Amino acid sequence: MKEPIIEPDVMRISWGPQHPMSGQTRIILDVDGEKVHKIIADLGFTHRGVEKTLEKRTFFGGIIPLDRMAMVDTANMSIGYVTALEKIGGIEVPERAKWIRTLVCEMSRINSHLYAFGLQAESTGYFPAVFLWTTVDREILLDLFEELTGARWSFNLFFPGGVHHDFPDGFKEKILKSVKYLRGRFKDYWDAMVENPLFENRCNGVATLKPSDALRLGATGPVLRGSGIDIDMRREEPYDIYDELDWHVITEDACDVMARTKVRYHEIGQSLNIMEQIALKIPDGPVKGRVNAFMRVPEGEGISRVEAGRGEMGWHIWTNGTSNPYRVKITSPTLRNMYVFERLAELDEILVADIPVVINSIDPWYLDADR
Amino acid sequence: MSKISSEDFVKAFQNAQKDMVLDISSSDPKRADLVVKLENVVEVAESLRDNFGFVMPISAGAIDYPEESRIRMIYYLFHPASRFLLTLRVDLPRDNPSMPTLTSVWEAMSFSEREAHDMFGIMFEGHPNLIPILLSPDWKGGHPLLKDFKGEGQQ
Repeated sequence: MKEPIIEPDVMRISWGPQHPMSGQTRIILDVDGEKVHKIIADLGFTHRGVEKTLEKRTFFGGIIPLDRMAMVDTANMSIGYVTALEKIGGIEVPERAKWIRTLVCEMSRINSHLYAFGLQAESTGYFPAVFLWTTVDREILLDLFEELTGARWSFNLFFPGGVHHDFPDGFKEKILKSVKYLRGRFKDYWDAMVENPLFENRCNGVATLKPSDALRLGATGPVLRGSGIDIDMRREEPYDIYDELDWHVITEDACDVMARTKVRYHEIGQSLNIMEQIALKIPDGPVKGRVNAFMRVPEGEGISRVEAGRGEMGWHIWTNGTSNPYRVKITSPTLRNMYVFERLAELDEILVADIPVVINSIDPWYLDADR
Repeated sequence: MSKISSEDFVKAFQNAQKDMVLDISSSDPKRADLVVKLENVVEVAESLRDNFGFVMPISAGAIDYPEESRIRMIYYLFHPASRFLLTLRVDLPRDNPSMPTLTSVWEAMSFSEREAHDMFGIMFEGHPNLIPILLSPDWKGGHPLLKDFKGEGQQ
């Protein structure tokens, strides 16, 4: 990496690449005393060539590595790929399969937000207990995943034209029971953490990102909505059954770390509402049509945009009539948000001690940035 | 920023920049596609941002067509007021893929252009920091997303 000239009095700190809070990356900080002058994100430590791998795999085989792009948010990683292929090929999806997809995507989003929320607590240094709570509560969702798909992580449930598994016996009741339990737990989180003066001191007014800057720098997900802009792909470009459900986009106007944390908190509440609605209203019917593992997709291109836990996942797929894609372009939310993180030092005064709090408010997942 | 539907945008842009547009279409209300000539790309980008309200960059990527000897660079732009996605496409010669950077218009395209530089070897003239982002700095294996890439160390 080319090293720019450093002014006297400015010290360069290399943070990482061994697991700086979450995942493998290196963050370079130019600091003058306590103040951070410049942030440089040195990405690419976990680049695995997912886009190239997809070109070499069949459409079905490609879904398996996709799940591994963000383990905590498995379902939202593959849903966009599947949706784009269905658009190109004009593949019909049974109604019940769409409901199951939405349910699993929302459970995955809660899973992802719980992790982010727990790490946000951990990063302030005061609340290791909240991280343990979120980790324990995540188990409830993992157990549901296991019962539905047979795997707790990377369950590879979706495919173009449906989902692999239907609900086992008594699954609806288990969802309703879990939703009820989790709602009770979230009250505890609010009291123990969000409204705690210690947490407020660390997060209020830190790393503010004005709405105009958020748009200009291409922020996405809770970072964008934490700056008061109501862009959510589930509403802008509804996929599966999001347009049939009763939910709304969460925004916060404070534009700081606290706002982003609150967006995640309230989004978990919305996701729980969606889970409940699906358990109560899901129609009967088949969940998949004929499965052809070596399916061919006619020549064409398709774009799909889905909302993952960290923000918008964009998929642009070109096919040429064979059994594997010609090219897949993935737009990952973390890559976009890491650019915002680099610029934050210029937009607001950030202290070295705030860096863990700030980077967790971005909720980076370097595996999806590096692909 | 005023609201404009993707179809109206297609008509308005065609009238305003007739000689710079190679192809423009809108297949559905959430999408618009625009192909421009390489020599006009910066001018078109500035006009899209300042006159048409595409203030939000999403990302950029490329696709390789070895038979036609071209690489197509694609910029994804979002219209926050009207909520549709525009793909701005420009063809580059495959033997010397080079174009002026659009980070001068949308600063946040920086990471995506660096990625396209890694993966396709596209030179972005005027990019402030065109260093490897995903590949390691000592990578000598070529550009992985080109169709004739065989793997590191293979000829």
